[in-house]
Amino acid sequence: MYGRKVKFRFLFVLLILLTLFLSVFLILKSLEENVVYFQSPSEIKILSEIENKKIRVGGMVKINSIAMQAKEVKFIITDFKNEINVIYSGVVPNLFTEGKGVVAEGYLKDKNFFLATKILAKHDENYMPPEVKAALKEE
Amino acid sequence: MASLIGYYSLIFGFCFSFLIIFFSIKNFRDSNFFDSKLISLSFLQFFFVTISFLGLIISFVNSDFSNETVFNHSHTTKPLFYKISGTWGNHEGSLLLWLLVLTLFIFLFLLRSKNQTKQYRILTLLFQQIIIIGFFIFVIKTSSPFNFIFPIPNEGLGLNPILQDPALAIHPPILYLGYVGSSIIFSSTLAATSLNYISREWAHHIKQWVLISWVFLTIGILLGSIWAYYELGWGGFWFWDPVENVSLMPWLALTTLFHCILVLEKRLILTSWVVVLSIATFTLSMCGTFLVRSGILNSVHTFANDPERGLFILIFLFCLIFLSIFIFFFFHKVKTKNINSIFWFSKDASILINNWFMMYFLSVILIGTTYPIFLEVITSQKISVGPPFYNKLIVPFLIPFLLIMTIGPKLKWIKSDLKDKSYLILSLIFSLIFSILIIKNLNTSFLANTILITSAFYLFFSTLREFFKKRLLNLSQNIAHFGFSLLILSILFNNIFSTEIITNMKIGETFENKNFKINFVRVEKKDEQNFKSIIGKFNIENSNGNIEILRPELRIYNQPNIMTSEADIKTNLLNDQFMTMNLVQNQDYFNIRYQIKPFMVWIWLSVLLITFGALITLFRSKYEN
Amino acid sequence: MKIRIPFLFLTIFFLAIFLVFYKGLQNSNIYVPNNNIEKELPNFQAQLFDKDSEILLKDILKKDKFYLINIWASWCVPCREEHSFLIRLSNQKNIEIVGLNYKDNRQNAKNFLKELDNPYQIIISDKDGTNSIELGAYGVPESFLIYNQKIIKKIIGPLNNKLFIEIKKIIK
Repeated sequence: MYGRKVKFRFLFVLLILLTLFLSVFLILKSLEENVVYFQSPSEIKILSEIENKKIRVGGMVKINSIAMQAKEVKFIITDFKNEINVIYSGVVPNLFTEGKGVVAEGYLKDKNFFLATKILAKHDENYMPPEVKAALKEE
Repeated sequence: MASLIGYYSLIFGFCFSFLIIFFSIKNFRDSNFFDSKLISLSFLQFFFVTISFLGLIISFVNSDFSNETVFNHSHTTKPLFYKISGTWGNHEGSLLLWLLVLTLFIFLFLLRSKNQTKQYRILTLLFQQIIIIGFFIFVIKTSSPFNFIFPIPNEGLGLNPILQDPALAIHPPILYLGYVGSSIIFSSTLAATSLNYISREWAHHIKQWVLISWVFLTIGILLGSIWAYYELGWGGFWFWDPVENVSLMPWLALTTLFHCILVLEKRLILTSWVVVLSIATFTLSMCGTFLVRSGILNSVHTFANDPERGLFILIFLFCLIFLSIFIFFFFHKVKTKNINSIFWFSKDASILINNWFMMYFLSVILIGTTYPIFLEVITSQKISVGPPFYNKLIVPFLIPFLLIMTIGPKLKWIKSDLKDKSYLILSLIFSLIFSILIIKNLNTSFLANTILITSAFYLFFSTLREFFKKRLLNLSQNIAHFGFSLLILSILFNNIFSTEIITNMKIGETFENKNFKINFVRVEKKDEQNFKSIIGKFNIENSNGNIEILRPELRIYNQPNIMTSEADIKTNLLNDQFMTMNLVQNQDYFNIRYQIKPFMVWIWLSVLLITFGALITLFRSKYEN
Repeated sequence: MKIRIPFLFLTIFFLAIFLVFYKGLQNSNIYVPNNNIEKELPNFQAQLFDKDSEILLKDILKKDKFYLINIWASWCVPCREEHSFLIRLSNQKNIEIVGLNYKDNRQNAKNFLKELDNPYQIIISDKDGTNSIELGAYGVPESFLIYNQKIIKKIIGPLNNKLFIEIKKIIK
């Protein structure tokens, strides 16, 4: 009877450990794949190679740069040192205006062109994405 | 005036905490009976906090701009309803609401625990008072809602228009009832652990509190998600945004806790597990408050971001965590006599296995939410974790989860054989064929979707069958599980069958594809009390020639000056048609989004169904008392 | 003795998490604009708003006095919102507010001030936006707190109650 109890506990602990390792492994692995890094236009300018990975670019929408067409919106993100052209088709958030902060998520075509798949807005009138603030502060 | 009264009665309420602690310790040592003075004292504390809260509401209603909170969050042109809801629509007011619910719940707890022992009641009261004191200090010191400003401004700054919405006006109070309800579970579990009081009767008694907070939390999350659906204009109901995750985590812990308590009530096993889960539920609620309020997380929702406040909650949170770890390790005694009697083929085992799955979902969300913080501290890289991460890690594991959910309730406690074997296999085959028929003609990934839908249908059919067998004993559980299968099915169909068109249009233009034609007819302008609105008129003609008119709206609020889009949603039982429009400054194009989302209503209805199941259990256990 | 090991382990684990969160909180402080910029102010010719004459910026800003240069425009929505703070600030004794009217129509700007009151001691007009670039401004509204002809604080976006109190503290 005693042996059985020990055996049971042993199995139990083993099972817990196994599931624990498995889930940690899974989580870490998909974190690696699904994480989106944030970069400012200046950081993009000094990239050595263009990876085909989803990133976020943040900065200000340059004044007088928004051009809207039927299929897409083009605009320029600037961090006052460097700029990048963005092409986007999709939903434009309410607070997307010239001279305001913006974060665009998507893929780099080259160092000057960014294909956005999503534009992020925040429901706050004075919103400046923290990343943008930090990026702007670095100048 | 009102805010002055509010301030002083808040201080009064704070003093009562010390009175209560003093008398409870005295009572704990000196007498054998529970001193009913403690109940009156708790009531008085609740009363003073209520007065304080009413004071704040009155200041908001009267637009008393000498009060800083009112000045920052209200405006004279705001409708009365939103003046009132503005009271808890901000950081300071919402904390006062927390406090109000905390004091209310401990008062109710004392009233409703008459047949528990004296020591247990007093100890619960003491632990709860520790939490209450923490919140009192937090409110008074770092975020007093009654700060005075001089010179008195003539006009307030207004409430963020996006929050001026009926669903969001009642969403915070309900969510807090859920969060704070878990504080009662937390303190009573700590009390029961330190007294070694955990028993089947205790489980029965605490089950009600678990259910109450679970119901409120569920409805709170549901309201938030409905609001996000029609107000944020993305056409989705869940974005895996940190703020949403933060409310989902205590929900998962609470759901797990509820199922464990059922096992504990029946069999007196899993005691340590119950203790850990009770602690985790409240800790996760607090952790959510911390993550949201401190601005440490980068989310699309905003709240007052103030590192000082964050620091306070952080320290308080970890004091509670260390206190509970201490109590758990030094007072908790495991009753080992039953430990080896779990059989793999029993109800308890299936609950336990699904508990593991839920813990796994919980840790996925927890890690996904906090990982950016860790990475930034350690490597100072800024990242965000998006929906694909969660979908990939959670969705595949729903399959075994659903299967066990189907089979588990059919098993007996302790040890059993599977009854209805032939039926179970039959319905599995039936579900499989059914889902293959549905998925066949679509160009989505066939295998994954088929298996997923099969398992959801499996649960669906087997719970459906139970209804016809009229087993009243398990009615509430069956309703809840049936609701869950409906929820998963609706979400799946919603994802698979949604169609979406995003385009930019000028007035008068027509967009056409093979399924339908969208004609942008005109815009109308209207003036309302505190906003101007631009309403677009769109004719949508589908391939059968039916014309539907949709009128999405843009609102330009005057104070503060913000533009919001109001989606126009045409709902019927099968699908929702959803349209938003948006205008970019200085452009004559409107940004249009048109979506057909099948089974949207069923998502909301199924959550209500699950809640209904929980309510039945709650009333039944009351009736049995 | 047996319980000590998991107990210690858990305590250390949570302490580590506490530390990370604590550091994270410090990090989010980075986003708060820096208080001491202490940059030398550029000097430029500026067009006066109500007269057809030009003036040097350094002639407006005397030494040993606080000034707030506020960039505004009648078309700018958040400017309306911060206006009440500017009015309240103009009632303070030891600070003068200099308006910089950015890319604006003069008549609209006048109407704006008529409607909401004029907090500015002096207004310069920046028709083509070059002056604001020289100041290093990002957009409208934006304010610079000046002392001894040096920028001591730069405020991007509209003023709010918190900033208002902060400015009041600085000028005292």
